[in-house]
Amino acid sequence: MMMTHATSSFSDPVLVRYLALGAVLFAIGLVGFMARRNMIMIFLSTEIMFQGVAINLIAFSRYYHNADGQSFVIFLLTVAAAEASLALGLVVMLFRQRQTLNVDAWYDMQG
Amino acid sequence: MDYPLIIATACGAIALYLMMPRGQGWLVKLGALIGVLALASGLSYLTHWASVHYPAQPAAGPGIFFYAFALITLASAVGVVCHPKPLYSALYFVLMTLAIAGLFVLLMAEFIAVVLIIIYAGAILVTYVFVIMLASPSGVAAAAVDYDRISADPLIAVLVSFLLLGTVLETLFTHTPHGFIAASASGVTAHAAHWGGLAALGKNLYSRYTLPLELAGVLMTISLVGAVVIARKNAPHTHMLGLGEMPAE
Repeated sequence: MMMTHATSSFSDPVLVRYLALGAVLFAIGLVGFMARRNMIMIFLSTEIMFQGVAINLIAFSRYYHNADGQSFVIFLLTVAAAEASLALGLVVMLFRQRQTLNVDAWYDMQG
Repeated sequence: MDYPLIIATACGAIALYLMMPRGQGWLVKLGALIGVLALASGLSYLTHWASVHYPAQPAAGPGIFFYAFALITLASAVGVVCHPKPLYSALYFVLMTLAIAGLFVLLMAEFIAVVLIIIYAGAILVTYVFVIMLASPSGVAAAAVDYDRISADPLIAVLVSFLLLGTVLETLFTHTPHGFIAASASGVTAHAAHWGGLAALGKNLYSRYTLPLELAGVLMTISLVGAVVIARKNAPHTHMLGLGEMPAE
């Protein structure tokens, strides 16, 4: 069995709990991404998945006493902000065309 | 095979399947009940797992605050996914973000927690709420329309994602003590001397990750330009993008 870490306040069982929480959050977001039909809700579900990943990164950063995980979360937030601005602009543009947010209304875009 | 874990995951899957918007209230209540059951069984599995694999640390739990914040996070994430009204989903998302910021404070990442609140709860969610207001068909933002009341393929979605979740959790709980964590735990103390705090994060960002930081700036600039191009009404070159005619407003 593995021994405790130099930083005994944050032990392996605690890390595993955080990782499990991140995984569950990712799964919930994935369900929303696939099952919702509103475009805004689909993008909101991707944000849930982002948060699950961020929990993983921060937990590992705490576990290894390394700032890399926090740096990655900074980049993750940057990408999330860029994605949200572009995606919501697209949603507003698409809504202006067909007056609905239903993704099935754009079924003809499959080419 | 870890049957308690699989049972807990399956309970969560059934709960989420029942709670997906379908237009029937009692199913949601039943789903919430099964969800509580899934959480309880998962929690008892975690406790049992920790007592089996780490007998040296009898009370090695993360404390009451972790459980409180994790409960709020999961409940409001389910609320985001399952609420038939998008505006309420956005508000649940704010609640989830606040709870996750609490978790980050517990993980000694105070700066990330503050940034998360400012960017997510402050900026991104305000944008979402504005778009929900702008792009609501009837003009009433809080009214649920039929494509929000009835979800698309809840069975397939729940099956796929909880299969993924079951695999991840199974791997995590089966292979963790001899797996990746144990293998790389020896190189831990390298950064331990000056780890925490904003100073270390800033030094890390501007020394090891200078180029990615600049690229992030470029990405922000590109997305700014792209958002302006997309949001322009009656742009002169719209037909070249194949967007067709914008409806008159």
